[in-house]
Amino acid sequence: MSEFEPTIIAFVCNWCTYTAADLAGTARMIQSPRVRLVRMMCTGMVDPKYVIKALLSGADAVLISGCHPGDCHYINGNYKARRRVKLLSEILTTFGFDPRRLKLTWVGASEGNEFAETVNHLVEEIKALGPSETTAIEAL
Amino acid sequence: MANRIGVYVCHCGTNIHPRVDSPGVARFAAGLHNVVVARDYKFMCSDPGQQMIIRDIHELGLNRVVVASCSPRLHERTFQNACLRAGLNPFLFQMTCIREHCSWITTDSEEATAKAKHLVAAAVHRVNEHTELYSRVEKVHPDVLVVGAGIAGIQAALDIAKSGHRVHLVERAPSIGGHMAQFDKTFPTLDCAACISTPKMVAVAQEPNINLMTYSEVAAVKGFVGNYQATIRRKPRYVNMDACTGCGLCMEKCPTKVPSEFEEGLGLRKAIYRNSPQSVPNKPVIDAEHCRYLNGKKCQVCAKNCPSEAIDFTQTEQMLGVDIGTIILATGFDTFDPAPLGQYGYGLFDNVLTGLQFERLNNAVGPTGGKIQMKDGRPPESVAIIHCVGSRDVNHYAYCSRVCCMYALKYDHLLKDKLGHHVQAYNFYIDMRCFGKGYEEFYRRVQEEGVHFIRGRPAEVTDVALSPEEKGKLVVVSEDTLLGRTVRVPVDMVVLCTAMTSRHDAAEVARIFGIAQGADRFFLEEHPKLGPVSTTTDGIFLAGTCQGPKDIPDAVSHASGAAAQALALTTRGEVAISPTVSNINPDICIGCKVCIDLCAYSAIEFDERRRVSVVNEAMCKGCGSCAGHCPSGAAQIRHFTERQIFNELEGILAPQPRPAAAKERSGSELESAKLRVIPMAAAVDAPVQTS
Amino acid sequence: MGTTASIRIDSGSPLKTIQGLFGKFLADEEVAGIFVPRHLPARGIVMPSLITDAGQLEAADPIAPSFPLNGARQIARLTRGELDGTLVAVLRPCEIRAFVELVKLNQGSLDNVLLVSVDCYGAFDNQNYRAYLETGGDMRPEQSDDFLRKAATGEIGERTNGLPGFARACMACEFPTAQAADLHIGLFGMDLGEELQLISGTPRGEGILNRLGVSEAAQSDRREQEIKRLTQKRTAYRDAMFEQTKARTDSPAKLAEYLAGCVNCYNCRVACPVCYCKECVFVTDVFDHKPWQFLGWAKQKGVLRMPTDTLFYHLTRMAHMSTACVGCGQCSNACPNDIPVMEIFRLAANRTQTAFGYLAGAEPAEKPPLAVFKDREFPEVTGGLD
Repeated sequence: MSEFEPTIIAFVCNWCTYTAADLAGTARMIQSPRVRLVRMMCTGMVDPKYVIKALLSGADAVLISGCHPGDCHYINGNYKARRRVKLLSEILTTFGFDPRRLKLTWVGASEGNEFAETVNHLVEEIKALGPSETTAIEAL
Repeated sequence: MANRIGVYVCHCGTNIHPRVDSPGVARFAAGLHNVVVARDYKFMCSDPGQQMIIRDIHELGLNRVVVASCSPRLHERTFQNACLRAGLNPFLFQMTCIREHCSWITTDSEEATAKAKHLVAAAVHRVNEHTELYSRVEKVHPDVLVVGAGIAGIQAALDIAKSGHRVHLVERAPSIGGHMAQFDKTFPTLDCAACISTPKMVAVAQEPNINLMTYSEVAAVKGFVGNYQATIRRKPRYVNMDACTGCGLCMEKCPTKVPSEFEEGLGLRKAIYRNSPQSVPNKPVIDAEHCRYLNGKKCQVCAKNCPSEAIDFTQTEQMLGVDIGTIILATGFDTFDPAPLGQYGYGLFDNVLTGLQFERLNNAVGPTGGKIQMKDGRPPESVAIIHCVGSRDVNHYAYCSRVCCMYALKYDHLLKDKLGHHVQAYNFYIDMRCFGKGYEEFYRRVQEEGVHFIRGRPAEVTDVALSPEEKGKLVVVSEDTLLGRTVRVPVDMVVLCTAMTSRHDAAEVARIFGIAQGADRFFLEEHPKLGPVSTTTDGIFLAGTCQGPKDIPDAVSHASGAAAQALALTTRGEVAISPTVSNINPDICIGCKVCIDLCAYSAIEFDERRRVSVVNEAMCKGCGSCAGHCPSGAAQIRHFTERQIFNELEGILAPQPRPAAAKERSGSELESAKLRVIPMAAAVDAPVQTS
Repeated sequence: MGTTASIRIDSGSPLKTIQGLFGKFLADEEVAGIFVPRHLPARGIVMPSLITDAGQLEAADPIAPSFPLNGARQIARLTRGELDGTLVAVLRPCEIRAFVELVKLNQGSLDNVLLVSVDCYGAFDNQNYRAYLETGGDMRPEQSDDFLRKAATGEIGERTNGLPGFARACMACEFPTAQAADLHIGLFGMDLGEELQLISGTPRGEGILNRLGVSEAAQSDRREQEIKRLTQKRTAYRDAMFEQTKARTDSPAKLAEYLAGCVNCYNCRVACPVCYCKECVFVTDVFDHKPWQFLGWAKQKGVLRMPTDTLFYHLTRMAHMSTACVGCGQCSNACPNDIPVMEIFRLAANRTQTAFGYLAGAEPAEKPPLAVFKDREFPEVTGGLD
């Protein structure tokens, strides 16, 4: 069998991380193509359901990435996201999901480099971790 | 009825294809549920590309469109407008990025193509759940708020006032003019700053359409594009502006002397002061921090001497409300404080000056009456000008401040011009950047005047002499990178070209206006190339150096651009408000009010009668703080609904089925075919519901 | 603790004494009604009832070990909007805690209600209660005194040898009293042939206590000691329960197995006092999948267990409500397929409430954790990169 290639879902803020991802692409920064972006208007709109759904439906990890504290395009959406991620990571780890499969980062609009690094690090980390614990479950 | 989806996969010349197998992606898309047609084409954003979509909407009865090409931040509007021209609601469109996020990030064609397929599947799944949305039209208040009255703010205010619209011009300082009012000559033409800026300052004072508020700050901003309400804090001036004649007697008599900000600390001012006799408004202000009377002492010398009884110590801070439709921020820049940078001796040696201090030395109304002189009053025989102090420096500011090379050349010229040809001027530079109109010519002219250029960033400025000729001098120690050796240059005076930085309180200002800052802390424009004036907050524009370092012509053009943008909204008189805001379904809402606590815009109200939370769409910015929390799913953001997101996830995560070959038609076939021309409607961003 | 009053027990019946107290409550001019569990004429059924006629009090019974539902929702309903007069609500501590959570979510109000908490040894779950009725015949008010004595002496514990026992949720409940109660009916540590106590918990409780004209008692720490003992015992039970549950659910696959019998009836959510949505999002059209979607999912693994979204539902319910979980156990009580839902829910709730330093139902003025946020917090979430 070929090397495990993880599938990672990234919920990213339109104003910062999505823009940074564009920038990283424009600057031709080599990144793992295993991270797929879902464009949100703000990390504050990332419903915990989306994360759970993604993890149960085959995502090996979920990345949520928004504006740096104090820089939120919508004043404080990122702070709400942080609480929700905290909540989710407590629940998910209770039931044996590896905490490394849910990541929250802050990547500003001009930080293309930062975005590429985040992506590549995460993919390496999840590669080492192996496929999601849910892969083998028939009933989700 | 099942949806009829058209999928259009772009090659972007060779930017996407062949790294991403665009025809392969189109073949794959053709096999997805509800996809009626999938095509690939060289340039989807081109006219023939758009026409292809429009033709398919008409001929194949498409009711959903997906384009896979570059970032939606670039061309989403383009394709939405194409859909609109074909009579399709632009929100029945979804764009996915297979260039910046696929073809440009990897050399692995297979992986890039696989990712593109996933993204296309996600877009197709998502677009199934899209619904028609209609923009709401709001009136635009015709008045404009301009914040900051430096040259950029002045230009913007005058441009708007000329059009017949009213401007509220708010300036924090007691008088207008900003940094430009401090300068003496301006590069490359050497006309004096005062000669060109004071007429503009006076024009502001005399313009009936400008409501000038000096010594005032914007404390709060509420509302949305076209309908902002600003609260302005007017600080007490303690001078009755109507009664004061500007005679200046009070300033003569005031016993308190403090270093002058306007003179960059080179001169003194009184506790009641104005920057210069040319100030606008030409009336003094009492500095409450230093005024004896306001600090509990007996004094009131100014009041006793004022012939028009204009001194009014009873004044207090006032809060004024203004309604405006658009806002232009022209809050300017600060300069880098070189004091912490110990190696250049600023603050340690008397004759190490910043560029702005040197400007004041040159200024006819400056502390020396325009004489370039050292602290002891003697003219310098030699001057070193150190470029890039704080800028182009990874330890401080990575960017180039853009103006220093040119004003350094100006200083070179002024030294020769004012003090004589024997005066030696040494420039320590990294690269000379003389990019503007007439700048290179000026560089050549100054070179011909016999100025020294040493390529290297100096290590230090020291007064430790190693030879008799260095005695009593400031010695600039640097590597000359062209000669590859260390040089020691003894001089009488050192001028530091300090970096232009964002204002120290830029973060606070950004918060008040709800705009973003870039990594360099300057205010962030909507797009670095195509939207350098607008911000991501509709109706708020940037003018001048608050967006990044600029010289005067650039700041002025930027300001005129901002004025034009503001006027475009103002003269149209109405604005379409994006429909992608929150909506709370009253049948599902149970009225827990948590969303009300979470809303950063106070856009949700509680309807006591129905016991449900209700979104005020005019206030809602569509951030989704409510939707991200609402456990019942009552609160959802239009165009980002739970079904849409779940579908998108499903598309991304679904294992890819075998590509179906049947339905695909290649774009090249289309190129040879005769296009049916569809009349183009005027481009509008979104249709407006008429009822 | 506030003022303590000692109440003499009449004719050896704590229940009758409590009923007498209720009579006094009803006689108070501010009190419009009393909400209390009451025996229905039907065999053994005890249901919360709203009593305004003192003559109906003889069937009132807050001691009976029946716990068919958490009454928080009912009290929420009764306090949502105007109410003429004050309502006295006699509740178990877990009901009060759930009610406090509902008040925070604007589902009820503390304005016109006097929360009376009865010291709670625990209750039977529905199954046990039915078994108890079947073996012992009727459950009548007078049997409650006997139950109370047995509970106090420890004769009743976990279900053993076919004898009914407390619900697992009650065995693991580390809050035998409710912090937010206005008034406590103190049974713990009392000589139940002699006296019980009334203890005020708030100024409002203090007020009615003064008006009742009961004699103030000297502070005694017998009740405190009993509370401490019970809390310790139950905490130990809870922790052992957590360990057992963890062993059964410490991987997503095991959790799926744990929930394999779930039929998506959502009874656990209906029975949950703090699950307050009108309709669960899982029954809204958000989850109204298309037939071709089901087929698509089936194709992915060759098989699709139906109904779908089971694990998804339970994890999401934890995300929504675990910070408000009071551990009453009604979810397990309601499961038609005997899935021990309470155990996994409490396990997660313990984690989330600890993470946010929050105790569901304890402090009415405290906002729910997801309704607030701070500029700087939880640096571990972003790896300390703030």
